[in-house]
Amino acid sequence: MKKAGQQNGVKGERTEEEWRKGQYAKLYRKFIGITLVCSLVPLLLVGWAINIHYTRFAKTRMTESLKTEVEYHKRIIELFLRERSARLQLIAQTHSKDYLKEMGNLAHVFEVMNQEYGSISDLGVISEEGGHLAYVGPYDLMDKNYSETFWFKNVMERGIFISDMFMGFRKVPHFIIAVIRQDKGEKWILRATVDTEVFRSLVENVRIGKTGEVYLLNEEGIYQTSPRFTGKIMERAAMPLEPYHEGIKIQVVEPDEKKPKANTEIVASAWFREPRWRLVVKQEYSEAFDEVNYANYATLVFLHLSALTILLVAILTARHLVRVIKDRDAEADQLGRQLMEAGKMASLGELSAGVAHEINNPLAIILTERQILLDLLEQTQNMDEGFKKELMESLNQMDVQINRCKRITHNLLRFSRRTRSVIEKIDLNSFLEEVVELMEREARSSGIKFQTELDENLKPVLSDPSQLQQVFLNIITNAIDAHDGKPYGTVRIATRADDEHQKVHIVFADTGSGIPKEILSKIFDPFFTTKTVGKGTGLGLSICYSIMQRLGGSISVKSQVGQGTEFTLTVPYQPPPEVQEGVAAQERV
Amino acid sequence: MKGSKILLVDDEVVFTTNMGKLLTNRGYKVTAANSGDAAIQALEKENYDVVVLDLKMPGMDGLATLKEIKKLGLFTETLILTGHGSIDTALEAIKLGAYDYLTKPCEIDDLMGKIEGAWQKKDGAEKKDMKGKMQKVVESPSSIFDLFRKKK
Repeated sequence: MKKAGQQNGVKGERTEEEWRKGQYAKLYRKFIGITLVCSLVPLLLVGWAINIHYTRFAKTRMTESLKTEVEYHKRIIELFLRERSARLQLIAQTHSKDYLKEMGNLAHVFEVMNQEYGSISDLGVISEEGGHLAYVGPYDLMDKNYSETFWFKNVMERGIFISDMFMGFRKVPHFIIAVIRQDKGEKWILRATVDTEVFRSLVENVRIGKTGEVYLLNEEGIYQTSPRFTGKIMERAAMPLEPYHEGIKIQVVEPDEKKPKANTEIVASAWFREPRWRLVVKQEYSEAFDEVNYANYATLVFLHLSALTILLVAILTARHLVRVIKDRDAEADQLGRQLMEAGKMASLGELSAGVAHEINNPLAIILTERQILLDLLEQTQNMDEGFKKELMESLNQMDVQINRCKRITHNLLRFSRRTRSVIEKIDLNSFLEEVVELMEREARSSGIKFQTELDENLKPVLSDPSQLQQVFLNIITNAIDAHDGKPYGTVRIATRADDEHQKVHIVFADTGSGIPKEILSKIFDPFFTTKTVGKGTGLGLSICYSIMQRLGGSISVKSQVGQGTEFTLTVPYQPPPEVQEGVAAQERV
Repeated sequence: MKGSKILLVDDEVVFTTNMGKLLTNRGYKVTAANSGDAAIQALEKENYDVVVLDLKMPGMDGLATLKEIKKLGLFTETLILTGHGSIDTALEAIKLGAYDYLTKPCEIDDLMGKIEGAWQKKDGAEKKDMKGKMQKVVESPSSIFDLFRKKK
């Protein structure tokens, strides 16, 4: 379509075409821009909002679960310690020092305690002075004096004491629970060493994910249980000290700058009142928020995919739309051109009819004058032969010129659609073949070959054969004339049925000299001719044009200088109603 | 038919004069009228075999004149001779009862040919009519008076 416009030269200059191209490109960009803004912005907003919302929700849930975890473990440990202390207190309150001092009694108590729970590794009764009164356990501690130990001092002060882990005389980490009994002004201490295996397993066996660990710290930051990764019991933790606080505290700990490989961790901690231990549940941030990260990642992928799809769709849609607009524009252009042409032709038709009529009358008079002269000449006798001969020649020339004028005015009138149509059923293929056969004889000397590509599925049309023949002959004659100066050439004639639009397309393509762009738009104008004076009236194509219009068809042209010209005619399957009415009127006559 | 009476109707005086001369030279009896009105007046006064009528005239134009002629109910045939190539108008004229049409400029021989045809048609119709009337007279002799009465 664009190519046709370019070749046509009617659409205008190169600059206009470029301007159009620019406009289409702008439109294309605009379409894409608008589509992207209209779809991507909401998409991103929604994606962003969902992401934020979900992250917050997931983090809250994660934190909650961490808190629960801490609370749960804290309760277990508390329960464990409280239960041991309570039992110890019970024994101290219900048994006298003297009873326990006696060998066997303490062992019996120890056995009963361990039978039920199995978590006390030794049991001792210690006097006010710090020496053992009785002892049951795996170590030989009878001669140890504890009066200077920290726990001894503490228990003497507070009445009950749970120690931190310490190595003590045994060189194994352990802790003790000691209770004091005041009996008749006399103080003695019942002390139990808690089986660290059992206690530590309570904490150390907890597994949270791949990177999670649970441990206890005392006030000085010494591990009370072995953490899973970061150290060992009794070692100092790398974590900074944390003052006592109520409730559960959750912190995000960024890695130390000195340890670039370390990851950000989330740390939840809670303090026990007695002993002052801190339960720490720690996990790598990335693992803890794995789900969130995964969701974020999925959202991101989804967003990108959506954006990509939108972009693709936007491009395709824009391209399609621009193409549709382009086609519509081209169609509108063509229609505009046709309308303009039709308007021009209509006014030219009016003018031509008027001119023809005005000339016909004087022409008729001149003709009668000539006839009178002829009559007079016949009647005259004794005329000089030479004079008579000359006069006759002049009169004959008058006749020739009058006939020439007559031909012109008749053509003009024909152009102005003042001829009647005789509508018949025509098989265009065989009709064209006849025309070609006729013209082949004429063109034989010029070296031009005819080539026909006829659509076999062509249905017969209802049209005026003599007018169509006139058009075909005219175009073919022009095609032959276009080869003037060329030793050979071809005229291709093709038909194609267009059932959708109920018409037949007929193409006449020649390999002649072509029509320059500048005059292509004028070739249908009356009196426009490139032939020498007297050779053509310049009405041939104008008449073709008006005939095709009248028969409800069309005629259009494409040409490339030096390569040839292509005329395309359309003939409708049915003539327009006004032509049919004309036929009916004629039949009535 | 030599001696046929022709009425030439055209607003172009030179044309009617010239054509009159030519037709007279060829043995016709020609009268010229330069308007529709003049033509009707002439027809009312006298009988003509063929009227040669131009379509485009000022005042009463060819078609209107033709209608008037037809109203007169004569045997006279009308031949349209027009410089206006309008087939539609010519067709309408034929519908209205014109014999045929010719476009200007036309050769005198063509015109004479058409005139001849028109005359023959007129003559035929006249004869047929006469025959019918005679038949009537034969059947009922009293009807002969009708003939005269009509003529008046």
